[in-house]
Formats: sequence, structure tokens, C-alpha cells
Amino acid sequence: MRRSRLIRQLMATTLPITLVLGSGSGTATADPLLGRAMSTYGLPGGIDTPTAETLPDGTLGATLSWSDYARRGNVFFQALPGLTGVLRYARVDGINDYRNEGFISDRSLDLRYQVLGEEGWRPAVAVGLQDFLGTGVYSGEYIVATRSVTPSIRVSAGLGWGALAGKPRVIDVNDNGGTPNVDQWFSGGAKPFGSVSWQVNNKLNLVAEYSHDRYQARYSNGREFQQGKEPGSKLNLAANYQIGRNYSAGIYAIGGETIGAQVTVALNPREAAYPSGLEKAPAPVRPRPSPAADPEGWSGAWSQDPTAQPAIQKALGDAMAKEGQRLESMALSANRAEVRLRNLRYINQAEAIGRTARLMTRALPPSVETFVITSTTDGMPTSSVTLRRSDVERLENTDAARIAAAASLTDAPPRAPGLVPTDGIYPRFRWSVKPYLDLGIFSAEDGLTHEVGAEARASYEITPGLVATGALRQRAFGDIGQRGPAIGLPGTRGEYYTPEEYEADPSLETTPEGVPRVRSDTRMYTGNSSPVIPEATLAWYAKPTSTVYTRVTIGLLERSFGGVSTEALWKPANSQLAFGAEVNRVRKRDFDQLFDFRDYEVTTGHVSAYYEFTEGFTAQLDVGKYLAGDVGATVTLAREFANGWQVGAYATKTDLSADEFGEGSFDKGITLSIPIGWATGQASRDRVSTNLRSLSRDGGARLNVNGRLYDRVRDSHTVDLYEGWGRFWR
Amino acid sequence: MNGTVKITLAAAMLAGLSACGNTSADEGGAGPLAILAQTATQAVAARRAPDAPAAPARSPQDTVAEALRVNPGPLIQAGFENLGRTQIMAMTGQNGPMRTFMTPAEEAVILRDGLLVGTRGLGNDLSVAEPQLEAAIRAGASGSGSRIMRYYSGDGLERPLQFACRTAPGPNAGVLVESCEGHGISFQNNYMVQGGRIPVSRQWIGPALGYVTIQTLRP
Repeated sequence: MRRSRLIRQLMATTLPITLVLGSGSGTATADPLLGRAMSTYGLPGGIDTPTAETLPDGTLGATLSWSDYARRGNVFFQALPGLTGVLRYARVDGINDYRNEGFISDRSLDLRYQVLGEEGWRPAVAVGLQDFLGTGVYSGEYIVATRSVTPSIRVSAGLGWGALAGKPRVIDVNDNGGTPNVDQWFSGGAKPFGSVSWQVNNKLNLVAEYSHDRYQARYSNGREFQQGKEPGSKLNLAANYQIGRNYSAGIYAIGGETIGAQVTVALNPREAAYPSGLEKAPAPVRPRPSPAADPEGWSGAWSQDPTAQPAIQKALGDAMAKEGQRLESMALSANRAEVRLRNLRYINQAEAIGRTARLMTRALPPSVETFVITSTTDGMPTSSVTLRRSDVERLENTDAARIAAAASLTDAPPRAPGLVPTDGIYPRFRWSVKPYLDLGIFSAEDGLTHEVGAEARASYEITPGLVATGALRQRAFGDIGQRGPAIGLPGTRGEYYTPEEYEADPSLETTPEGVPRVRSDTRMYTGNSSPVIPEATLAWYAKPTSTVYTRVTIGLLERSFGGVSTEALWKPANSQLAFGAEVNRVRKRDFDQLFDFRDYEVTTGHVSAYYEFTEGFTAQLDVGKYLAGDVGATVTLAREFANGWQVGAYATKTDLSADEFGEGSFDKGITLSIPIGWATGQASRDRVSTNLRSLSRDGGARLNVNGRLYDRVRDSHTVDLYEGWGRFWR
Repeated sequence: MNGTVKITLAAAMLAGLSACGNTSADEGGAGPLAILAQTATQAVAARRAPDAPAAPARSPQDTVAEALRVNPGPLIQAGFENLGRTQIMAMTGQNGPMRTFMTPAEEAVILRDGLLVGTRGLGNDLSVAEPQLEAAIRAGASGSGSRIMRYYSGDGLERPLQFACRTAPGPNAGVLVESCEGHGISFQNNYMVQGGRIPVSRQWIGPALGYVTIQTLRP
């Protein structure tokens, strides 16, 4: 038992990093509708052909496949029970572009929807779009049905168009890609495909498939390429082996001649290594003695004693600190106590509130019946949960819904009468020196790049809400060097300015299409061998009314920009809707990342609307002016789990034309954020987050300022708080 | 093998580096790299542990005697079968008939007059058990009814599992057996009932933790 626990912990612990490195992906169990093996395109399927199977809802993972045709890194996500999405980075062999390297780097996106589940005699049916943003080498569409013939054998049959029919679409060499070519979908003639999958035992799965894919690519300039070797037959074979709960590996043969291999890692947010967490048990409720046993405590006379509150506040603050919370201030009267806490440890605010409620029963005299527990962040009170002490005593360790029904959630006023700040909390100075690792993962042109060094970081909280933060980095080694942006003139594709050329000619800081370079020269900020300052700011957070939050940040806001950033957010504690506004006046920083600036200066800002649906979906709309002065809007949709997992997708369209924007036509990306505690079991608010996008485009770029209000405030508001309420008694 | 050692060493060095500063783990910011390194170091340490010379074993009787001597309050001995360890737990709180017992590492078992209510800090905790047959169990009587077991699930929610249960006297005198079924599994809780109290029992916590054997050392 000990060994298997250890292995599980190790596996789960290494997964998020594995994911960040871009390896891995997953498979599923023998549930009727769920896939048993992954295709080389990172979807439940045969080998190259799709099936109508899905993955367990919420599954996130990656499949890496290698063969003479391509190396593909597929990141997949089961966004809804029927909807699977795949983001793919492929090195497609055998195709020459302007770089003349014998391969091209290609990004593509697939979607598949399972229209019908398997039921009775009816097979499961799915419709899919492969590489559907722009025309690419893999573009194609399909309709497929899958049915279990015996518990271990499944048969799939479908119709494919485009690449799946062996009729690759003609790729327009002048197109920037990135927009759906709806008029080509399901056109050009269909061909059938099919597969048979045999689950030999718990571990081993064998697949045979019939595929029309010929692995060819056709371009509008008349050039045609054969990827790898043209398959000698239409029959492909594969064997996949499941390793533990999260991994699988397989080998396959395409057309009888080309051999390939693949590995998959799949994570299910519902399957944590330690579902309840390993954090220590909470201090239990201490019921009050009977009035006869403590007449003085019940009378409230103690509240007239000026030494009572300081002693109680000290004891409660110390106990809360042991459970990962800071008691910022407290108001105490004979029958009511308000504590303002900052949760430093738990992903779910309800766990912090539940622990504090129990500690209050242990610290407060018996006459105090009303507990008001106010959550704060950066000195701003965000919401108040009011509980009756007798309910806390009565409902300890019962169904969490009962204490939820007995609690009330209200907006927290900025100030409350009688609040006494806890001694010795402010000012607060914190510093650390630690290593850092920067990874460039999905750059199509550079492959995997890295930089390692040391970072010193300090923060000084002068008063609640007023924070000075600074960071200093020294690179040690790595292969992310300094480089100018791509030249971007006809006949120069794949060539970059040298740092010297770029710095010598200020006119180069505008693209040939007239767009100021705000992100495409981001590599100019890397590769410094001397110390750099990634961030040095003074931030002031405030709450002018009980539903409005504000932030002002000045200084070196991010690697490339410094200036002033201001933000206001309206978010009542019981509202699923919020509105925000942000205005920044920033100037481009010099490439040495110290205190000098360059000439480009801009006012950028947005108005935002946020909505939290129940069931863990959130939406955000931002409309405004972006860093390069372009005007437009960003739409973001995200799925969140109560344990803190977040997976989102966004797209930004501005008034830049597709040509002005460049490759991809408009900005879009996927965000992933996994709490470290999910993998390790240790209670922590730390996360591993990544943003899969094209980093080097100037259109639709936003300032990367730290401390945006929305995500700081809503932890303790209705949707997030109640989603995690099940941990109140944890 | 050599590569593993190198990685471990590097990880340990990184972890050492990350210790530099006055930022607590809560204030975080240790970062994924440091946490990974720390976990790797712990894992290596754990793997090595069996090779280390074992501490002179104390007999269970000695351990119990010492616990009784050191601790004046109520004590239980709990054997977690799937964890493979038996621990003495001391009462840290009492709310009516509900008592919370903790190990020195602050893992908790919550009992209501001997009946398992929940666990805390074990990684696969039972949030709360709601046995409909509580009265029948205490009376040593036969009966049938449901049992809801609520668990902290990996996605951050509290999820109830409902089981159908029957109570009946067991093969040994004075032992009541509660047999439950549901969700494709079954389990049996055994209670030795004495005047409505349950001094000795073997109760099912959940699928991951399995059974715990609870013995009252001092009521």
C-alpha cells in the first residue's frame, strides 16, 4: 500500500509540469462511451481516423506522436460531456517552405461533438472538424458512428472529407490562416473510413483501421508534397498499452511500411491524488458552558474590560495563523464579533471561513452569538458571511448544505465601527531568492527553449492595500537569446533583424504594415546577461463603496511596459454579473529592462463585463483599445472546477486587418491553470498556469499588469464561494 | 539510474535554494519548481526510509501504557487497514456526544458515541456519515435503512454516496453487524455494543481508506 501511494503521489505530482513541457495525454477506462485509445491526432480514435468516442468530462491531457510523417504534440480537453477540443503543434515532414528545411511547423485546432450516445442498438455518433481554422495540411471533416459489438470489441465507421478522404485541400500560400473556411467544409467528395478496436485486457488495446489519408499537401502556387512515404496500403495497425491511471503508450504501423510511436498523459480534474487534501484536521468546535457555569461570560460584562479584546484578538490571531489565515482586524462587542481574515492557504474560501468559525467558538466569550466573518484581499474586504454561533455548534460535521442554509452572504462595507487592526501585521516585509525556469514551449519556429536563473523578489505591505513589489532576475544559462523581430518584407520570411540592426534604426519599431511593435520584438527583452528588473511597482488597492473596488499600480508594470495602470470593478457579493473598467498610460521599456524607456507611449484600456454561470462556466467580454493602439474586443470563455482547475479559451478581434495582424489573422489562445495542491495534496493557493498562444503578434495585445481585481475579489463571492462550500467543515 | 540521481540532486539543490527568504509557504510563492523539487526530495527520502536501520521496536503494550500515562483525557486506538498503521488518538474536542480524536500529526477521527462520523487530514477523508440505523445499532437490534456517506471529492465538492444497510446480530455474542450495499460495493461494520456505547468496532471509512478498527482505551 505504501508503495502504491507513493507512486500515485509521484505521478500526480509530476503531471502538471509534464503538461507544461508539452508531453503527455490521456486515455480512458472501459466505460461504454469513453475512448480506449488515442489517435495520433490526440483524440479518442483509431490510429489516423476518428471514432465517435469521448473522454471523461473535464479530461485534460496531451498525446505526443512520432513517425516519418510528422511529430505531433496534441493538447486535448473534454470541454463538455460531448465536446472534445484539440490544439495541435506539428512538425510535418516532407514539406518545404521558404525555410527549406524539409519540414514545416504547423498549428491546428480540431473540434468533435458526440451528437448521440450509444444506446441499445443505436451506435454513438459524432461530427468533427479537423484543422478547421484556415486551410492546413490536416484540414478535413467527418461523421462517424461507433458501436460496441462485444464488451471488448468496438467498430467504427464514418465518412471523411478533405485529408480524411485522401483529397487534401489546396492551401492558399498568401492566406494568414486562423479563420474558419466554412465554404470548404464537407465538400470535395467523401470517402469511407473505419476501425476496429479490441480491448485484449485491462492494459492492452489493439486497433486496425482503414484510412484514405495519403499524406499529401497541395499549395495554391502549384507545389505538391508527399509527407513521409506514400502509404502502400490503406490498412493501419496499432497496439496501445495503458500504464497506471494517467499514462499510455503505443506503437503503430501506417500502410504496412511506416512505423510510429506515441505516448499520452491524461489528467482528470476529478481524480486528485488526495481528494480531501492532506492539510491538518481543523480545531474542533468548543461548545459554550452552560450559563450557570459561566454567568460572567454569558452576561457580556467582560466587554467593558478594555483588556479583553486585545487578549482575545491575540489568541484568535495566533490560532488562525496556524491554520493559514491572517486576522487583519476584529470588532468585538458583548454579543457580536466581526473578524476580517486573509486566506493564505486554501483554494476554497469556504474552508478558511469554516475553520475560522470553529476557532471563534474556542476564543470568544459565551455571550457572543453573532459571528461575522469577512474575507479580505489586499486590504479590501470582499464579502461577509454571518453565522449564528449556536448554528456552528449545532451543525458541526454535518452535511455542508445545512450550514450554508443557516449562513448569510452580504457585501462587506469598506469600514465597520469598532474594527481594531491586529498588532504587528503591518508594515510587512517579505523577500525571497529562488531559481526560475522560463520555458518557450510551443513556438513553431524555435521548438522548446529555456532559460534558468535566479530571481530575488521582495514585497513591502506598508498599510493594508498599499504594496510595493520588486523583482530582480539574473540569468544563469539557457537558449532563449536576444533577437530582433522577423523582418517581414517580401522574400525575407524566416529572417530576423539582429539586435544591433534593430536598435540602430528606430523606424523598425513599426512593422512594414504600420503597426507599432509592442509584442513582436519581445525577444529583444530576453537573453540579457546582466541583471534585469521584470517588475517594480507600487500598488494601491481600495474599496470606496461596498460593491466597488479600485486599483492603481505605478512603476515598471511588466517586462516591456511601465507607467500607470488604474482599474475599477463593480461586483456585489451576491451578483453573478460584474463590470470593470481599466485605463493605463504606459511607455515601452528599454530592452535592458532597467529604468530606461523607449519612445513608444500609449493609452490603453478596456471596459469589461464578467458573468459567472453556475456549473463552473465563466464568460468575459472586454472592449477597448489595445497596446498597439488597435481597437476591438476580447471574448473569453472558461470552465472552472471547485478544486481550482481552470481551462479557458479566448479570441481577440481588433480593427487591424488580417494582413496587418499577420499569421493567424487575429489573436486567440488557450489558458490552463492547475492548483498545485490538486497534485500534491498539500493545501496551497499556488498554481501552475500557462497560456498557449502566439506570443509574437502586436494586434490585440494587453498589458500584463499584476493584481487585476476580478480574480482577487470573486473567491469569496456567491458562485465561487458556494461551489467550494462542501469544504466548510474540512 | 545515474540520470535519476543527478536529477534528484539538482532538485534537492533547487529546493535548498528556494528556502532562502522569509516568505512562508502560505505566502507562496515557493513556485512550482520548488514544490516539485521538495516533493521529489521527500519521495526519495521516503523510498530510502526502509533501508535505514529501524528504530528499536516498542511493543504495542508499551506504547499504549505510555499514551495512557502522558494523556489524561479520553483515548482511542485506531488501526487504519489500508494505510497499514495503528495509532493512538487523543480527544481534542467534544461537542455533545460527538468527539474529535487526533493523532500527534493532527489527523482526526470524529466519533459520535463510538460511531464513525468522519475523518480529517488523511487525504481521502469521509466528510460525514449519516447512518439511518444509528438507533438500531445502539440497541443491538435488527433493522434496515439507508446510510449516506459524504466524501470530499477530487474536484472540490462534497459528494454523497447512498448505501442500503441491514443490521443483525453477528456470529459472536455482543457483536452487531451492519451490512451495506450500493454503487457496486458492499461493506460490513462490526460493533461491540455495551449499553448503547460502542467501545470496540471495525467500521468502513470509504473506498480508498477501507476499514478502521477502533478500540476505546479510556472512555
